[in-house]
Formats: sequence, structure tokens, C-alpha cells
Amino acid sequence: MGRTKLTPHLLRGGAHESSTDRRLRRRAAPPVPQPGADVRLTLPARPENVAVVRHVLGAFAEALDLPADTVEDMRLAITEACTNVVRHAYREGESGPIDVVISPNGDWLDIIVTDYGAGMSPSPDLSGPGLGLPLIAALADSVDLQPVPNSRGSRLSMSFRCRPALGLA
Amino acid sequence: MTAAEPATTVSIASGPLVGPILRRVVGMLAARADLPLDRLDDAVLVADLIAARAPAHSIDDKINVALDPGDRSLLLRVGPLRQGGGQALIVDAAVPGVGNVIEQLADELSVNPEGEIEYLHVRLAYANGR
Repeated sequence: MGRTKLTPHLLRGGAHESSTDRRLRRRAAPPVPQPGADVRLTLPARPENVAVVRHVLGAFAEALDLPADTVEDMRLAITEACTNVVRHAYREGESGPIDVVISPNGDWLDIIVTDYGAGMSPSPDLSGPGLGLPLIAALADSVDLQPVPNSRGSRLSMSFRCRPALGLA
Repeated sequence: MTAAEPATTVSIASGPLVGPILRRVVGMLAARADLPLDRLDDAVLVADLIAARAPAHSIDDKINVALDPGDRSLLLRVGPLRQGGGQALIVDAAVPGVGNVIEQLADELSVNPEGEIEYLHVRLAYANGR
């Protein structure tokens, strides 16, 4: 299918594979949006809505009784992902959505954060993409960043391994 | 919220996640709409009723709600529901000895058909802000 994985080291333009990159490749099949996904939340990409996403993830985790340390990793990762969208996806004065899908998948919890804005690129105010993506890669068991078909936006897919097995999968 | 801004929507697969998640989203947006605590509590109660009753009337196995926080008000648009589902959902919200909870709590309540489907609109507002 020829899908391109945009890993942080590719965004930085480096050729060396870091431990972050190895983690990015750890899970062979990255999550893709499922029509039957358990929760889909679409909000305007505004700073105050990042908290809404965090709360929804918290409610999800409580309902599934997920381990606290995994939930904290997920919260931080999803906060970084949504903050990236708020800060970088849309131009000043332009409004657009953040689309968040959370779905259990066997022992895994898949989270997909999508925007339809300018796409992922190095921050203009930094020499690289910043800490967000490497931090997400360090927290999640797998990460995949792809362009959204027929859009300039980006889709960041994260998977977290949850034990014991998720009750609703 | 500007006119061009995308809507806030939540879609949840029918099951035990509907209540906790819908309650959380409605509560947060009600607070952002500056509803006072008693009306925020009413909004969460309406969310719980929708979570409990809407799965029986949805056209698929998902509960879809669009939320529009306004000036001291919050509009919930529930659906798509099957034909007759909007009114059935309202009727289902009746509690013996209490009456119809959604009708009592909502400032505006309407069922809006769109072809073969329909949407239930529920607006909660702060009484002094009407």
C-alpha cells in the first residue's frame, strides 16, 4: 500500500535509528481507524478542549479499570498529541477539528488523534519537532504518524499494552 | 464559539462506556458554558438519562451526541435516532412518582425529523439568562 511512516527521526531528517525509532516499530500492525471504534470525540482545536479529551480518556480508563501507571502514560501522550494539533495544525485565525478515537483491541488500547490542518512538520520556532513526538514514542508501545488521505492533516496512532486484558474488547 | 468553528461531537458504542463518557463531556461543557452548579447537575442528569435510554432508539449501535455550549446554555443534539425514537426516548425518561425528568429539566425540547431519521434537541440554560 506504500504507506509512509513519519517517525520523529525522519522529521528531524536524521538517518540514525534511535531507541525511539525502535519503539515506533515494536508493534507490527499500527492501529487504523475502525468504523466500530468505541469512542470518537471531535472537538474544535482549542487549548481548553485538550482537558476534555483528557477527561474522556480518564472516564474510559475508569470504566475499564486500567492500571494507573498505564493511564498516566496515556494521559500524557494524548495531551501531547492534542497540544501538537492545537499549536501547529491550523494557522492563526483558522479553526479546525481534533478527532480522537479510543478503542480497545485485545490486550491493547489504541488511540488515534487526527487533524485536517497543515500536517506535521518541524516547528518554526525550534530546530526540530520538539519533545512532543519523542515523548509520545517513549510512553506508547507503538506509534505511527501518517498523512491523512485527501487532506494535508496528520493521523497519529498510538497503542498501549494493557494488562490485565481489557474487558470490553 | 464562532460560526465557522467545528462542532463538538461524541460517538460512543452502546454499552457501559456511554454513561461515564457522556456524563464527563456534558459536565465539562456545561461548566464552560458558565451554567451554575444546580443546572450543571441537571445537565449531567439529562446526560445519564440519554445514556441509559438512547441505545434502544438509535439507528445503530452507537450513541451520537453533538454539543453546542452557548451563553449560559448547552444544547444537546442526540441522534440519529430511528423514526419515533425521539419521542420514545422522552417517554422512557419518565420516572414513577416524579414525572418526565427530561421534560422537567430542559428549557427547550424538540424532535427534529430528517427524512427517515430524527434528532432529539435538548437545551438547558440558566434561568436568569433566558
